[in-house]
Amino acid sequence: MGRRECRVREFFESPPPREVISLRDVWVRLGGHVVLQDITFSVKEGSFLGIIGPNGAGKSTLLRAILGLMRPERGEIRVLGMDPRELKGELHHIGYIPQQVLFDPLFPVSVYDVVMMGRICCIGLLRFPGRSDRKAVLESIDAVGLRGLERRPIGELSGGQQKRAFLARALCLETRVLLLDEPTAGLDLEAQESLLRLIATLREEKGLTVVLVSHDLSVLSRYADELVCIRKTMHLHGRPTEVLGSERLKEVYRCEFDFLSGGGADQAGGRSGGGAGKGTREEGRDGERSLI
Amino acid sequence: MFEYSFMVRALIGGIAMALVCGPLSFFVVVKRLAFAGMGISHAAFGGVALGLALGIDPLATAAGFCCLVALGIWFTSRRGRLHEDAVIGMLFVTAMAVGLMVIRWADVYNVDLMAYLFGSLLGLDGADLALILGLGAFSLLYLILFFKELLFIAFDEETARASGIPVDFIYAGFLVILALVIVVSIKLVGVILVSALLVFPCAVGLQWSRNYRGVVAVSQLAGMVSVSVGLYLSYRLDVSSGASIVLVLFAVFLLSLLVSPGRRHAIAFLRGGTRKGGDGGAG
Repeated sequence: MGRRECRVREFFESPPPREVISLRDVWVRLGGHVVLQDITFSVKEGSFLGIIGPNGAGKSTLLRAILGLMRPERGEIRVLGMDPRELKGELHHIGYIPQQVLFDPLFPVSVYDVVMMGRICCIGLLRFPGRSDRKAVLESIDAVGLRGLERRPIGELSGGQQKRAFLARALCLETRVLLLDEPTAGLDLEAQESLLRLIATLREEKGLTVVLVSHDLSVLSRYADELVCIRKTMHLHGRPTEVLGSERLKEVYRCEFDFLSGGGADQAGGRSGGGAGKGTREEGRDGERSLI
Repeated sequence: MFEYSFMVRALIGGIAMALVCGPLSFFVVVKRLAFAGMGISHAAFGGVALGLALGIDPLATAAGFCCLVALGIWFTSRRGRLHEDAVIGMLFVTAMAVGLMVIRWADVYNVDLMAYLFGSLLGLDGADLALILGLGAFSLLYLILFFKELLFIAFDEETARASGIPVDFIYAGFLVILALVIVVSIKLVGVILVSALLVFPCAVGLQWSRNYRGVVAVSQLAGMVSVSVGLYLSYRLDVSSGASIVLVLFAVFLLSLLVSPGRRHAIAFLRGGTRKGGDGGAG
């Protein structure tokens, strides 16, 4: 089909552990206001990073900056060893699910058509989908458990099934990194659990690096290796047990929590491999105590 | 009626337009650009008036006006602080005001103007037909080649952008195509009514199919039938072709609404048969 050859890059040839995403002193300005300042962290290959923070903390902006949809005012972002805005030819390694896909429920596309959209960056301009694209789309639909629904109009699916379809769309390439913006928003508890379990399973199977943004702490505590808590700047960074046990979290969210009940954090804490593994140390920043 | 060459030209041109307007109207409707289509077509009035006043081909000046408005809509929607509909609302009345001024000063109240406003069977000469066929083929080719990208952009622009699709470039191209198709359709349907061709075909298609392939195919078919019947009625009843085509399009839409499967779905839904009931809960 004359498919564009996927370039083998130096990044994947370098010895592990590799830093799939790294941010150094990143500042982002939006409409004249500083939305993010002084963000520094990295994500190692195969790890699951949760970005938490209250509404309006700049979480989605951070994800958009990592995707190259937004230019940081200061600092450096590296994704797969490159500037995200220069990733053009390598975007088939990155799967993204935006916060809300505001589509018309009557939009006349099937689940299959939606997942095929994920292949477009690999098919290339002025080309049409080939056999390998069709195969990859069906495999991806299978992997998220939507087999049999591929011909259904996307608007007819439940919220949870739609999220799975978008997950399939993000995974139907040679995806190595999965960026998810509030994937559980608007789902009931059962659907949330089911979706996160699926993401965790797929991560294991495919060796994915997952970055998941959420304001819901209880959900992330059980699945993430590491948490970064932001509100404009980074307030906490560490394993879920450390972050969620920190007094500072209440200040960031400006309220009290009881999210550790259920013991999920222990489970996450025991699975600490692959993370940035900086451990936890306290350090003064702007006259405040932070865990960085 | 086929003994008249103007009728044959009108039919060929009309069917070519309907073929292009199938996929074009699909994107206009799903991307909610109906008002943009109306704005661009009304802006053509300023161009036509200017062309008539200056004694140059009114379609050339109309193309200039329409492309300017299309790109103005594109530019402000990307960079400005205004929503597209506000920009369209300002640009097209400005273009029409320019048209009215020019008409007054250049004193070009003549029959030509009525033909440009409401379309005319006699309007299409050989050169116009060649223009419709050439630009129609070009537009259709653009829509076919970029269909998958346009579909992605219409469905989920944010992810399309994140996937590295040149969203701005493809969308600007689409708006220019929209402007050019509007311009070449003016002679048959007229400035005022041309936007009907950008909405009705897809509105009919959506009644008959729940997948874009079916919607586009039905849109093209509905467009071709309506344009042909409309031109015939224009010939028989001696009315402006724009008016007859639009009325036939409306009749086809109404008929589809009454007898199509989409209608049956709607009736079932209203009676309490929840089609979506079986899907809920999983996730």
